[in-house]
Amino acid sequence: MSAGLRDIELRSRKTEILIVATVLIFSIPLILSYSLLVLSSFSKEMVTNLNPRDFIPTLRNWILFFEGRTAVFGGIRVNICHIVLNTLIVALGVSFLVTLVGSMTGYAVSRLRFSGRKKFMALLMLLHAFPGSVMVVGIYFLYLMFLPSYQMVRLYSFFFVIVARASLEVPMATWLMKGFFDMIPWEVEWAALVDGASRLKVWRKIILPMVKPGVAAVMLFGFLAGWMDIIYVRTFLVDQTLATWIESNINAEYSYLPLVAAAGTFYLLPTIIFFLLARRLIFTISATGVKG
Amino acid sequence: MVVVRLVNVTKVFRTGVVGVKDINLTVNHKEFMALLGPSGSGKSTTLYLIAGIYRPSSGKIFFDDRDVTNVPPKDRNIGLVFQNWALYPHMRVYDNIAFPLRIKRLPENEIRKKVLETARMLRIEKLLNRYPWQLSGGQQQRVAIARALVKEPDVLLLDEPLSNLDAQLRISVRAELKRLQKKLGITTIYVTHDQAEALAMADRIAVINNGRIIQIGAPEQVYTKPATVFVGGFLGNPPMNFVEGEIIEDKGKLYIVIAGQKIISPTHYEPIVRRRGLRKVIVGFRPEDTMILPECRDRNECVKGMVYAVEPMGREYIVVADLGGELVKAIVPRTLVLTDDQEICLCPSLAKIVLFDPKTEKSLESLAAEKD
Repeated sequence: MSAGLRDIELRSRKTEILIVATVLIFSIPLILSYSLLVLSSFSKEMVTNLNPRDFIPTLRNWILFFEGRTAVFGGIRVNICHIVLNTLIVALGVSFLVTLVGSMTGYAVSRLRFSGRKKFMALLMLLHAFPGSVMVVGIYFLYLMFLPSYQMVRLYSFFFVIVARASLEVPMATWLMKGFFDMIPWEVEWAALVDGASRLKVWRKIILPMVKPGVAAVMLFGFLAGWMDIIYVRTFLVDQTLATWIESNINAEYSYLPLVAAAGTFYLLPTIIFFLLARRLIFTISATGVKG
Repeated sequence: MVVVRLVNVTKVFRTGVVGVKDINLTVNHKEFMALLGPSGSGKSTTLYLIAGIYRPSSGKIFFDDRDVTNVPPKDRNIGLVFQNWALYPHMRVYDNIAFPLRIKRLPENEIRKKVLETARMLRIEKLLNRYPWQLSGGQQQRVAIARALVKEPDVLLLDEPLSNLDAQLRISVRAELKRLQKKLGITTIYVTHDQAEALAMADRIAVINNGRIIQIGAPEQVYTKPATVFVGGFLGNPPMNFVEGEIIEDKGKLYIVIAGQKIISPTHYEPIVRRRGLRKVIVGFRPEDTMILPECRDRNECVKGMVYAVEPMGREYIVVADLGGELVKAIVPRTLVLTDDQEICLCPSLAKIVLFDPKTEKSLESLAAEKD
């Protein structure tokens, strides 16, 4: 709970250095590719050839990006705010739905001893193992049954993407939340019931605050899943999100790659923010309140 | 002003496990009732039935004349303290204690008054700003009791509240809790597996085993007149000694033969033994009611045995004696010097011997009472 001993002091200093060095070596390709991307976004030429002379510092790529220009020349322009907003709607929608369904299912699976519970959990694991892309066709036919009128398709397409993408994340979220709920002893819930709280109040005032780190994790994973998704957005969404916009600009005839690099760097922002937040949120898990 | 009454309460869990069977129990107003039994005996189940966490499969539960069998826990006005205290880890001590009052939507200044008052009573007013994990076990337990008491419950239910404390603390809290209960005059039901706790604190003890109440009575009564072999063996440290005996009649007098030696039968048992025509009995006697003499001479209430081991316990010695292959214990003063394998004479006090029927393992008194 408090600072002090971080780990069992079994490893010697030497092996520790060795481990850190190995980890660093294996992460070089990752670190390198990401830094090249970020560098390119501030350069006139792509620096991906590892030629230092290619790096000519400029902010033009970023200015063009925020202006919504897809090319240096010509008048092709998009409303970039709109695209970011679309991405946010999908990401937040997925996050919300995953958190809601995942936490409630997790609670049920952790607390209720219904028959077939173990099988249900195994099934969830199996569902998670399926790649999302194989289900696109099936989901497409499912959605055909709920096809709205022509004017409403654009609005509905957001629901289509959010529901489909969230359903892929729910199994993992359920497992994660189940783990958190398992740590709360029954007695704490009973104590609140005896203290006069209703089931719903117990959930809101006692259970939810105790699983806050889990909820935060599920929310973030859901957000990132929605933010990063490309297959479902391309298949179902009428509008573009950042992912599809970047993708469509890489192969275009007019594509200007340093601009795409700026967009790519912008696209990474949530991940970076998530990394900074995660250390605080996920790893400061509060105690379950049971001693001895 | 609450009398808790359980009438023919049975709880069968969905898995088919029988929690308690046909429990009849009345806890009087202001009474401190201990439910005593080994783990898995159904004592906690009984408590949770009274709390409303479990619902009885059959039977009824009354608070005074109000049938609460199907009333949810929040409407029973009970205070419950769990073995692991179940404090809310994300709330400070103050908010933990205030929680039941906040649920009732009392005005904040009234909550403040009541929380402070309760905290002062339990001497935790200095801890109100801390989180549960910043407290020691004893302090957490006080907070749990404060949270149970702050809503001025009709019934206080305690589920082994002391068993997570260390031995020293447990004994000091024991007296405090007993005093607090008497001062507040709340009907209290206390679940424990520790016979010393039950004897020390309770007005009455209900001994539970295998989901059934075996005996209800005042501590002295349960201790000196156990209704079954189980009760005698569960209470007391060391517990009651049991040896098999055979009844014989010689010149119109009844004798019990223990390990081939004859002692006279306690006179108050004579009518029951004769009426039932018993040939065999189990003789129960408490270690502290057993005298040890170096030689028997011609005493007709004593049997010869051998010293098996001597356990010095500080205040007194416990002598483990071999009585025809069975080990029995006796508590003797420290002044008695004994060596292993020495022949001694064991003299259980005749007035305090309890005889049991070997078939039902019930004491002859309780058998006689059943008949009437």
